Parts: sequence; C-alpha cells; structure tokens
Amino acid sequence: MFNTGKVLATGGVSMIDGAGGGGITPWATITGYATRDGINGDLHYTYAPLANYTLHSVGAAVGFWDRFELSYAHSTLTTGSTFDTVGLVADTAGGLTGQLAGTPINTGIEPFNTTIEMDIIGAKVRVFGEAIYDSDNLIPQVAIGGFYKKNKNDELLTTLKAAKTKDWEAYISATKIFFPINTLINITARYTAANQTGLVGFGGPSDEDKEIRPEISLAYLLRKDTVIGVEWAKHGDNLEGESVEIAGLNLTELQPTLETLGLGNLSGTLTQHESDWFDAFIAYFPNKNLSMTFAYAMLGDITITPDQHGFYLSLQASF
Amino acid sequence: MKPIFRTIAIAILAGTAALPSFAQTGKTPTLPGLDSDVIEQWGGEEGVRNWVESLFYYIMLDNRINHIFREFGNIERQIFLNTQLEMMVLGAGTEYQGASMAAAHADLGITVTQFNAVVEAAYNACERVNLTYEACNQLIAALAPLERVIVTR
Ligand code: HEM
Repeated sequence: MFNTGKVLATGGVSMIDGAGGGGITPWATITGYATRDGINGDLHYTYAPLANYTLHSVGAAVGFWDRFELSYAHSTLTTGSTFDTVGLVADTAGGLTGQLAGTPINTGIEPFNTTIEMDIIGAKVRVFGEAIYDSDNLIPQVAIGGFYKKNKNDELLTTLKAAKTKDWEAYISATKIFFPINTLINITARYTAANQTGLVGFGGPSDEDKEIRPEISLAYLLRKDTVIGVEWAKHGDNLEGESVEIAGLNLTELQPTLETLGLGNLSGTLTQHESDWFDAFIAYFPNKNLSMTFAYAMLGDITITPDQHGFYLSLQASF
Repeated sequence: MKPIFRTIAIAILAGTAALPSFAQTGKTPTLPGLDSDVIEQWGGEEGVRNWVESLFYYIMLDNRINHIFREFGNIERQIFLNTQLEMMVLGAGTEYQGASMAAAHADLGITVTQFNAVVEAAYNACERVNLTYEACNQLIAALAPLERVIVTR
C-alpha cells in the first residue's frame, strides 16, 4: 500500500489551497511520492509575510495510486496596520451610527490584529495523459479537481461586501514536462467566484456568479533536486472599486463624519482592489521526505492595501 | 471532422497506440526534439558505454531492484545491448541487436515503481560520469516512452 516510487521532485509541492501543484496553482500531478502502486501523503506549512498581511497555511494531503488526491488546508491571514486603522475608524464610526440605529454593530474588524481564517478541503482526479513518460507526444496529463472553502469571518466579509463566506471552486489542469528543454508547463482553468482565493469571501454586491480564470506555471528543471519558475493566476474583480460598508453605510459616505473625527485622510485607502497574483519560486528537494520552496510573491492590491509583495516560504514533509 | 483535425487525431493515435506493438529501430521522436549535438554531449559511444556501466553499478546497489537483475539478467550482455540501444535512441544511427523492449521485459512483471528506481539509477550514473543534468535529460526524454512497454503491472 504505502509507496514512495515516484522520481524525486515529481510529486510537486503543496499550493496554498492544499492541493499538489506549484505555489498558487493546482497541477495535474497527484501529490506525494506514490506511483500507481500505492498511497503516500504529505504535510505542509506555508508562511508569507507580506507588507500588511501575513499568510499562514497548514495542511495535509494524500495521493492514492497516482490517480486521486484528497487535501485539507487551514489558512490564517493576519492583517496589519491598515486594517487596524479601519478597525479603529469602524469602532468610532460604528459607535456613532450604532447610536443612530439604536443597535451596536460588528464589522468583524477588530481595532488590532484582525485575523481571517479559512478551511479548505480539496479533491482531484487524474483523468488521462502522462506528464512525465510520454515525451514523444504532446498530450498533457490532465486532472480535474475542486475545493470547498469556508471562510470563518462572516462579519468582516459583510463589511467588505462579499456575497458569500463559503463556496466551491472547480478546476481543470494540464501538466507536461518537456525533458529535452528541462521545462515543465502547467495550465489551469479555475471556475470560481473567489475574492483573493476566498480569504475575502466569494462574489460581490453586484456579481456572485463564478467565472473561468486561467492560471499558468512555468518551471525550469535546474537539477534533479531543484526547480525554479514563475506563476501567474488571474483574479476577479467582484469587489473592485467597492468601498467598505458599515451598518449599511459606505465608509466613503461616512467621509464627512470621518473628517470631523480628523480621519479624512483615510478616504483613498477605503476603496477595495484586487490584482492578479504572480510569483517567482525556487523549490529544493533534498530528498523524498522534504521540500522547501522559497518564492517572491507579488499579490498587488489586497482589498484596501496596495503593493502586497513579499517573500514566501513553504515546507513540505512527505511520509 | 475537418481534414486538419483528422490528421492531428491520427497522428496522436499513432503516437500513443502504435509504439507498444512495434519495436523501436531509431532515434526517439521526442517533442521537442533532442539537441542536435547530443551524441557529442554524451562523449560518443565511449561516453555512453561508461554511463551504462555506472548505470548497472547503481542498479546492482539498489535493493529495490537488484534481485530482479541477479535472477533474470545477464549484466555483461545488458551493458553491451544497452550501449547500442541508448546510442540508437539518441540518434547515432547505431543498430540495436537485442530483443524488443516488450519481449525482453514481458515476463518480468515490472512495476512503475521499479521502473522509476532505474530512472533514479540513471540520474546517479549521469552524475557519476560528470554529464550535465541537461545532457542527462536528453537520454531521459529518449527512454521515457519505453515505460509504456516495459511496465506491465
Ligand atoms: C528505460 C528503461 C530500460 C531499458 C532501456 C532497458 C533495456 C534493456 C535491454 C537493452 C535489455 C537486453 C535485452 C536482450 O537481452 O536482448 C534488457 C533486459 C532486461 N531488463 Fe531492461 N531495460 C529497462 C528497464 C528495466 C527495468 C525497470 C527492469 C527491472 C526492474 C529491467 C530488467 C531487465 C532484465 C531482468 C533483463 C534481462 C531479461 C532477459 O535476459 O531475459 N529493465 N533491458
């Protein structure tokens, strides 16, 4: 049953949603080192300290007979200074509007250290094709998969105007290694309504329909134990240009109130944006029990904070 | 179907279905193709033979697979024939005089796990004879499609 027969590095690493793949994109490869002769699993921990947020992702995944994969990941996004400020404003403004409405309101943003949490379960089935052995045809290895994501911050997501806190995503991935040029290419189409992978919920005030978003990973095999590459994932615009909403009031509408409070300079930062995600990575596989991925992640605008770029470290232990 | 799609479909079917039944007699048609100077990268026939010798050194050190070779193999014959075969699949125009890959491995019940153990030995052998990883992957690409006929379980 237990098997570790894949060639070093060919199990890939763990992407932030927990599936086997690159860093931000699920690949058609099945996680772990099991061939079709058995089962193998892995644990991962990913740490990405960005400018205003820090992402932690821990998870476990199991690959069955190089055919089927199950995964679980728990993401935690601690938010920094900007959310602290908004939290402070919300507390103050909420106090005012709350008095008007006669009820206290909860924005889900604490004055300090608001933390977003999300649980993700995933499954993937390999459908056809050989990423590795069929170097004499161009048929890629193709897998279909899905995630069910449950964001635990209902109030915060209402404040940020997301339509849903829980949702599913589906994807189809095609992966192929071209040994004569030491290159791996993965192309994924993800059917989703996620805002920032679901960390900011799913859908927006005017649009909660899923759409197909492309993702691409390009990797160069540098050595049998080292891979470098880049990734790109298209993101949506459900919350693009949306303000932050407190008790039915847009914070932009609250502008006069904020100005009286001496917080008028916040106006520009209270509009949400979302950017496509990019990263450049190096993954090192010292042996079949451990991989280390170091990346520079360029996640652009995340809700109300621009330029969320930073280093990314992911460790995977395989058993 | 438009003629162009039919041509592509036939090409794909031919590529996947035909190979197992016919023994390979020349350079492996990899996509993209192998480097044009791949034989020089490998140090010619002598280089290939050195690699094959170290391949068998690593195979016989690997407890996952060495027993198969000890019981059913003939190391001297296999080193001689593998040198021919590897030269041929790299495109040196060498004639391979042994049994077809399907016939040679049919009764062995080889698993993909055992096949991969040989792949790992192949990479170790490349390092042993100081081939670059890039040159090594030329041969990996040329041999990889044989998995379809060698692995029977
Ligand atoms: C791409 C991978 C492989 C190549 C290129 C290859 C090549 C060859 C060649 C050229 C022969 C000689 C055929 C003859 O005697 O006429 C042979 C025989 C043999 N191979 Fe492989 N082989 C591969 C994989 C394997 C694997 C994975 C195993 C077992 C784990 C294996 C076990 C054997 C054995 C035991 C024989 C001797 C069979 C006999 O003489 O009856 N080979 N192989």
